This record gives sequence, structure tokens and C-alpha cells, in this order.
Amino acid sequence: MALPSLPEHYDGGIGGGIVNSRRRLVDAELVASVAWLIKLRWIAGVGVILATWAIEAIFHLDAAGGPLIAIGAAILIYNLIFYLWDRRLVSREAPTAAFEQLAKWQVGLDWVAVTLLIHFSGGIESPVILFFMFHIIIASMLFPMRTAFAFALLAIVLLTATALLEYFGLLPHEAIVGFLDTSLYRNGLYVSAVLLFFASTALIIAYLATSIQERLRQREEEVVMLSEGLQRATVRLQALNEGARTVGSTLDLSQVLNRPVMSTAEAMGVRAVSIRLLDQSRKRLEPVAVYGLSQEYLNKGPVEVDNNPLAQEVLSGKVVNIPDAPNSPMLQYPEEARLEGIRSMLSTPLPGKDGPLGILRAYAQEANRFTPDDEAFLTAIAAQGSIAIENALAYRAVEALDEVKSQFVRMVTHELRSPVSVIRSLLRTVSGGFAGEVSEQQRDILERVSRRAEFLQGLIDDLLDLAAGKTDVKIQARLEPVALAAVALKVVRRYELSAREKELELEWVEESPCKTVRVLATPESLDRVFNNLISNAVKYTPSGGRVTVSMVCTQEEARVTVADNGIGIPPEAMEHLFEEFYRATNAKEMEREGTGLGLTIVKDTITRLGGQIAVESTPDTGSRFTVTLPLYESPAETEAGEGHESSLAGIL
Amino acid sequence: MNKNQILIIDDDPDQRLSLRLPLESAGYQVFEAPNTADGLAAVKQIKPDLVILDVMMDTTTAGFQVALALHSPDPTSEYKEFRKTPIIMLTAIHSTTPLRFAPDADYLPVETFLEKPVDPEVLLAKMRELIHE
Repeated sequence: MALPSLPEHYDGGIGGGIVNSRRRLVDAELVASVAWLIKLRWIAGVGVILATWAIEAIFHLDAAGGPLIAIGAAILIYNLIFYLWDRRLVSREAPTAAFEQLAKWQVGLDWVAVTLLIHFSGGIESPVILFFMFHIIIASMLFPMRTAFAFALLAIVLLTATALLEYFGLLPHEAIVGFLDTSLYRNGLYVSAVLLFFASTALIIAYLATSIQERLRQREEEVVMLSEGLQRATVRLQALNEGARTVGSTLDLSQVLNRPVMSTAEAMGVRAVSIRLLDQSRKRLEPVAVYGLSQEYLNKGPVEVDNNPLAQEVLSGKVVNIPDAPNSPMLQYPEEARLEGIRSMLSTPLPGKDGPLGILRAYAQEANRFTPDDEAFLTAIAAQGSIAIENALAYRAVEALDEVKSQFVRMVTHELRSPVSVIRSLLRTVSGGFAGEVSEQQRDILERVSRRAEFLQGLIDDLLDLAAGKTDVKIQARLEPVALAAVALKVVRRYELSAREKELELEWVEESPCKTVRVLATPESLDRVFNNLISNAVKYTPSGGRVTVSMVCTQEEARVTVADNGIGIPPEAMEHLFEEFYRATNAKEMEREGTGLGLTIVKDTITRLGGQIAVESTPDTGSRFTVTLPLYESPAETEAGEGHESSLAGIL
Repeated sequence: MNKNQILIIDDDPDQRLSLRLPLESAGYQVFEAPNTADGLAAVKQIKPDLVILDVMMDTTTAGFQVALALHSPDPTSEYKEFRKTPIIMLTAIHSTTPLRFAPDADYLPVETFLEKPVDPEVLLAKMRELIHE
């Protein structure tokens, strides 16, 4: 079965995580203690040698100096071996068992060293006996209770053996001469009393130390659990936050849902999370976002509300926790859940404004996995998710509506075009005298009708332009590199005749590096922009004036400026200039007819092409429109391919 | 008076009228067909000297199909005798129309395009250009 890999720290679920963390805690402690013991042992070895020297030099007592110093030296030597051993384990990142082995060797050898020290410093009379106590404490810290007791018993056995051997004369008694005068080691009562007290103290200390250690470990575990809980809470909060951000930033349904689904699974530390939404019939639940489930499981069959007690229960608004899914009568597909390795399921409704939208569900591999905390968390995620889903669905609906609307606009305008153009054809036929003689008055009327029809045609074309620009999402796909200067010049040529008739000077100024620069556009859209700007300039500049179309370019962008010394734009009109159907009062006075759509189309088109339009104007002095467009490539690049075919070729 | 025969294939009767009047006043004999099927039948029957074709009729490309049929280079074409019959195609192009086209010997074998609304003087000028008696 293809299972998606889960993050490592979630492998065992929450319970497993705590067992693991306890393990890790004990392990880390052991490794640290081993190193700490080695450090202490340096002092112990040196201490034995110094103490021996002090006994003889300062206290002038006669001790078995040679063996004692030898023991001290032996401690230092085996400690060196332990030190190197430990370093090797650390550098190899050896398993904990290896460290435990090392620790046992350390304690074992220490036991021998302490026993020998006791023997050479007076046996049962030796004050070194007390040293066993802190060794027992150390062992209790290092090892589990049973091992610690074993070491305590070993200490008792070693001491008892030493005392008895010396008592029966089987082992020479090495007293520190001058320390104790009476030979207590031969005093049976004394020996048995010391041994009894030693044994009981050793066992009590082992018990106390291991108990304290155990309690300390429990505390630490609690701390670890708490901090892990906090971590999970943080991850959950992040998931929530992410959900919230996704709600705000995107409106595409699968995009909205996929990330939250994944982060919810990660935050809960569970195998999988899914979102199923009710379809149009509201009888089936379709998966829209899934994380962590196999394709086989998803293809198990339709989730039908009528056959699915779980879905019914959840859709009625309840959070349903199923601790043992494969055996639950509520499931529509319990066998498939078993095959998928799903044991627990937690399902929560996705509440919509008008009833439930669907179900948010978490799946775990462990039985009885979900806690009330998980329920609260999943419900919170569901609330967030529902907002996202409703937004996305609403957006989809609006988009679809917009598409219908724009198709309608285009259809209507296309339909309007053909009758208007037939009207104009017929009018021309009549006014041309092809349908009989036309009187002066009739001709005048026909001309008025023609003008109106032409205005109507212009309005329809503008509306069509606007509708196309506004709604044609596919325009982006049709963009191609277009020689900007060629389009601008073509439009300038188009207006040369009307400019001459109006006695206007219309000139074209172009900087040489601009000749071949290309911008990403469509030839029609650029034509539309310049046609509007230049026709406005010609229209609103009185006879004798001048219209200059100029083009400059930099490495990144091209600027085409259409400047005139016409009537200008009143300041109060500036802010409305690009609004649909807006016309400045002075423009209306000069030209009665005009749709007020031209500049809207220009602005709309330029924005769509990633450019900007700027306007400067002084009433009665003139206007200056500057269009800036990003270049498709730098001018240097186009120079090489100067002979390339103009994009205008082949366009009618 | 010339008696050249002109066939107008256009689904819009008003558009046909606006073409017919100037043509008749110039002395042409004008025939009309409201769709491609009738148009093609009329071509065979009338054997016109020139065909005026609207682009968009029953479908957006109906006019093209008629033009392609008439001017097909295929020697077995049922319209092969009309391969040299000039065609004027009427268009109402806007930047948002789904089709863009230009006269092209390979692709669109028509003699010229005439944009709607049709100016009668321009129409007659094109006729004179294309029909040499």
C-alpha cells in the first residue's frame, strides 16, 4: 500500500512519542553521567595518592603506602582507558547500550578499587568504608533500581568477604598503624555490627537514591510532555493561522483546502486528513482535499449520505469520534478502512451558512486515538475551512456569472453591429442617389441620420472593446512581441488626412533605438490605445494646432507620448478622466458626440499589458498623454533581428 | 449598358438591397441567394461574372467555405469552371471577432475584401476593377 511518509516524530502517535521522549531522556542522562563520573574519577585517583602521602608525611602514621599509591595509580590508568573509550563512543554516536556497558565497567572497577582501598587501609576498621555509600548513590543514579540494588549487594558481599577473610586470618590485616590501637577486626561483635549497619545503610541508600531518581525522572518527563504539548499547540496554532491566511489570500477551492488539510494532519500528528464536500444533489460526499490517504482508499466507492450513518450523524452537526473504525457499524466502508490501516476516525461537520458543506475528517493508525482536545482543534479548523470554502464557492459563482455577463455583452454588441452596419450601407445607397433622386432637404436629413448611425457604430465598437478588454481572460494567452513603433506610426498615418483637412500639424518623432523595440501585446490592443489617444488629440485641437506623437525608450521600457496644444482638460475633470462614459464639459462643447469610453479603454488596455498611462494638461494650452510599456527585450537584442517580420503583417 | 451578372450571397436581405441598388443603377444584372447552399446552386445555374459573398451567414465561416469551393484548385472540382470567377468578400471585422484574415492565394482565394458598411462608390470602383468586358 502506498502510504505517504509522515514526519519522523509522529511515527508512533502521541503515546509513542512520550515513551520515546522518556527513553531519550534516560539515555541522554546516562551518557552525561558517564562523562561526569570519568571527570570525578581523576580527582579520586589523585585524592588516593595525596591521602596516602598525607597519612605518612603529615600524620606520621604507618600505612601500606605502596599498595595504596598503586591503587591510586591504577584508578588513574583505568580512568584514562574509560576516558578514551567514552570519547570513542561519543564520536561514533554509539547506542545507549554501549554507554551502559561502559558505566557498568566503571562501577565494577570502582567497586574493586574501593574494596582494595578498604583492605589496605584497615579492612573493617577503615573509614574508607563510607566511600561505598556515595558509590551506591552514583550507581542508583546511573542504573535502574534492580541494577542499583545488585551493586549495593555486591558492595556488601565484597566488604563482608574482606572482613571475614581478615577475621579468620586468611587475608593479612593491613592496619594503619597509629590510627586504631585495638585490633577491632578481630572483634566479632564489632565486625558483625559494622557489617550489619553497612548492609542496611547500603540498601537504604540504594532504595532512597533510586526512588528519588525515579521521581526526578517523572518530573522531567512531565516537563518534556508539557513542552511537547506546547509544541503541538504551537504547530496547531500555526495550522489555524495558515488556514486563516489561505482564506484571505486565495480563492481557488483546491488551493484553499490542500495546504490546511496537510498542516492539520501534521499538527495533529495523525496519518491523514480529508475534506469531503456535498455535491449538488447533497446526497454524495466528494473528496476535494486529501492528505495521507491512498488512491485505492479514495477509489473505494461513492460516499452516499443515505447509506452512511456516520455522514448523517456528522452532517446533522455533531463531532463524531470513532475509536475503532474497522469494527464500527457507522462506517459505509469499514473493510476498506481496515485495509488502509485506519483505526480511529474523528469527523466534524463543515458548517455553512445554509446548512453543512461537508465533512472534515482526521484518520489515525492507532485505536482510540482522538482526545477531546483533538475534537476542539478539528472543530476550530472546520470553522476556518468553512469560511474558505464558502468564499471560494462564492467566488466561483461570481466568476461564472461574470463570464455569462461578458458573453452576453459580446453577443449583444456583435448582434448590434450588423444591423447598424446594414443601416449605414442602406443610407449610403439612398444618399448616393442609387434609389432615385434625393432632394436637398432629404440629403440633409440622411446625413443627420448617417451621423447618428456612425455614432452608434462607434459606441458599439467601444463597448465591444471594453467588454473584450474587461472580460477576455484569454488575452494573456494571445500576447506576442509587437513592434511598438510600427503600430504607433500606422495609427499616425491613419489620421494624417483628417489632420490635414483640419489644418493641424501631425508629426511623428521617434528615437532611433526605438525603431525595432517590441512589447508584449496584441497589435489590435496597441492600435486601439493609439487610435483613441491620437483621435482625441486631433478632435480636441483647434485648426492651426499641432499634434506630436513621440517615442523614446530605455533599456527596460518604451514611452509613447501624444501631445497636443488643444483645449486641454479642466482640473476638475482630471480625476474622472478614465471613468466609463465620462466626458469633460469643454470636450462636450467642442464635440457634441463622443462615448466617453475611449480613455477607459486606453487605461484598461495599458494596465492589462503591464504598462502605465500618465496625463498632464493645462486648459487652453494642451494635453500630454504618456503611455509607458515594459519592453519584451532590450533594444540591443532587437537590433540583431531587425529584419524580423512585423506582427502587423497578415492582419486586416 | 453592360449586362454582367452579379450574384450576391448574403443572409441579410437589407444588406443585399443596399448592394443591389447601386449595382443595378450601374447596369449590372443582379441575382441574390440567402445562404451558401442556394448560393452554390445559383452559381452553377447563373454562371455569374462576379460573386459578392458575406463572411458570416449560417456559420461564422460559411463565406469562406463558398470561396474555397468555388476557387478550389482541384481539377475534379464540380465548380472548376468558376475558378476564375472573381469574388468580393464582405467583412465586418472588429478586434474582438474570433477570426482575423487577409487575402491569401493559398488560404483564401478571394479577389478583394469590402468592409461593411459598404460605400456604393467603393463597391462600383471594385467592380470596374475586377470585371473587364
